[in-house]
Amino acid sequence: VSVSTLRVIDAREAWSSRIGLILAMAGNAVGLGNFLRFPTQAAANGGGSFMIAYFVALVLLGLPLMWIEWGLGRHGGRFRKGHMPGMFAAVWWHPAAKYLGAIGLVIPMIVMIYYTYIASWTLAFAFFSATGDYWGRGTQEAMVAYLRSFQGVDGVERVHSPGTPVVFFLLTLGLILWVLSRGVSRGIERMVRIGMPALFLFALVLVVAVLLQDPAPEGDSPIAGLQFIYEPDFSRLGDARVWLAAAGQVFFTLSVGMGSLQAYASYLSRKDDIILNGLATASVNETAEVVLGSTIAIPAAVTFFGVSGAIAIAQSGAFNLGFATLPVVFQGMAGGRVLGLLWFGLLFIAGITSAVAMLTPVTAFFREEFGLRREAVTWALGVIVLGFGLLHVAWLEHGFLDEWDYWAGTFGLVVLAAIEVVIFMWLFGSKRAWLSMHEGAEIQLPAPFRLVMTWITPAYLFLILGWWGVTAALPILQLRTAAGGGPLDPAAVPYVLAARVILLGFLIAFLILVRIAWKRNGYVDRAGLEEAAT
Amino acid sequence: MTPLALAFLSVSWSVVLGVTIWAFWRILRGPPGSGG
Repeated sequence: VSVSTLRVIDAREAWSSRIGLILAMAGNAVGLGNFLRFPTQAAANGGGSFMIAYFVALVLLGLPLMWIEWGLGRHGGRFRKGHMPGMFAAVWWHPAAKYLGAIGLVIPMIVMIYYTYIASWTLAFAFFSATGDYWGRGTQEAMVAYLRSFQGVDGVERVHSPGTPVVFFLLTLGLILWVLSRGVSRGIERMVRIGMPALFLFALVLVVAVLLQDPAPEGDSPIAGLQFIYEPDFSRLGDARVWLAAAGQVFFTLSVGMGSLQAYASYLSRKDDIILNGLATASVNETAEVVLGSTIAIPAAVTFFGVSGAIAIAQSGAFNLGFATLPVVFQGMAGGRVLGLLWFGLLFIAGITSAVAMLTPVTAFFREEFGLRREAVTWALGVIVLGFGLLHVAWLEHGFLDEWDYWAGTFGLVVLAAIEVVIFMWLFGSKRAWLSMHEGAEIQLPAPFRLVMTWITPAYLFLILGWWGVTAALPILQLRTAAGGGPLDPAAVPYVLAARVILLGFLIAFLILVRIAWKRNGYVDRAGLEEAAT
Repeated sequence: MTPLALAFLSVSWSVVLGVTIWAFWRILRGPPGSGG
């Protein structure tokens, strides 16, 4: 691809090439959600009926939000803002805008911390696969015990020393920080230029291996797994939970409502296309999810445990499928160690390319508003990630991670998305937003999409918020149910409360930092921000 | 695989892969007037 249509805006960084941008955006979107969460959600929510709800949510919710975020991000870039407080302030000249934007700093910061920890498990399991560390644990129960032992859960036989997960967490975090410290074109772009082709290659090898796999005595053919995922069961379409699960998955997989996509888009100029680039990255993500993601984990699990066994495993949690079931299956396959290495290697690449994106808006905030150096900000944030990440290592079994995942990584995404849609499509105005998104556009979005973005997407979001608020968020808030599902263990209450206090602390800290930044830089809310010279 | 499941799989994969290929074809072709 010929490059250099992407220009440097003032002294801000910029993508050095269009393909680099697309790979980085795809790397941001393609994450653990595509290969772990998607098959689990599909299997646990009725297979084909989930897929119908998924595609509806993709068109009415995911894609419109994705374009809105590209638009909001690039518009923010015109004002040298790579973070949500600045992006909101650029389109809505109101004192509240910057504070609402602070949510867009808290969410990626929080999610990045536990996401890095989970990504570190994939690095550890890639290593354990290559060394054959779990070989001989050929049953689901034995592998679940192995996973629990690695996670440091009490009451299971110790396989590794308690320091083992810490070592892998440090390695993963160090790699992420190193990439970030090198900047947009020398760090992020270089990482995805190697990582993304490798990820797709690994996935293709796994797909072929799974489809050629002979079923075990109690298993079924891999095609039966695909049959389950794609057999439409129209009776379950009346179940609101299926629709909510599908909408939640679309959010997670496209990385919308996070602040990271907007940060990446802020490094574009108004001459650059965002409609076609957005469509290209979303379609790469969907290829990774719908085509590759549905052909690895569930069909592989079905060959060993049959369809009903695979469903039961999926309903027991995303990690059991990826970290216990698949290692069991790999142990029975020719070249199992290599396949295990490819599977966890793929997850690791998917994980770190997303984690890097999550920290980008936070580093942008400190650099742009406080004039700090990139390396200094990155490593200072690294200390925070390490400190709170170690709490996850220590308190995982007490629902600490689940609590953060629920409030920041699930409910929070929808809250931020709802706020940004209202600010961009309503307060900035749908006409201006539409024109802004189409500046430099190489393709025109069909006109009905404007109506979808203005009416249907926000309505969909508020419906989800209302439904979740009543059925899930309230019982979790009242400590009646656990964020990870099921009744809350009374012994876990102190950890859950600690998780919430820290979340609130992050929110308050960022609100204060935003206030200091605005005062320090002399921004006048009602006068808008100063546009960068282009 | 039942015909219904096969049809659903074929349609969804075709749409996803079709849009991906089309989007990259458009990108590689370059914007109008750019010469490539």
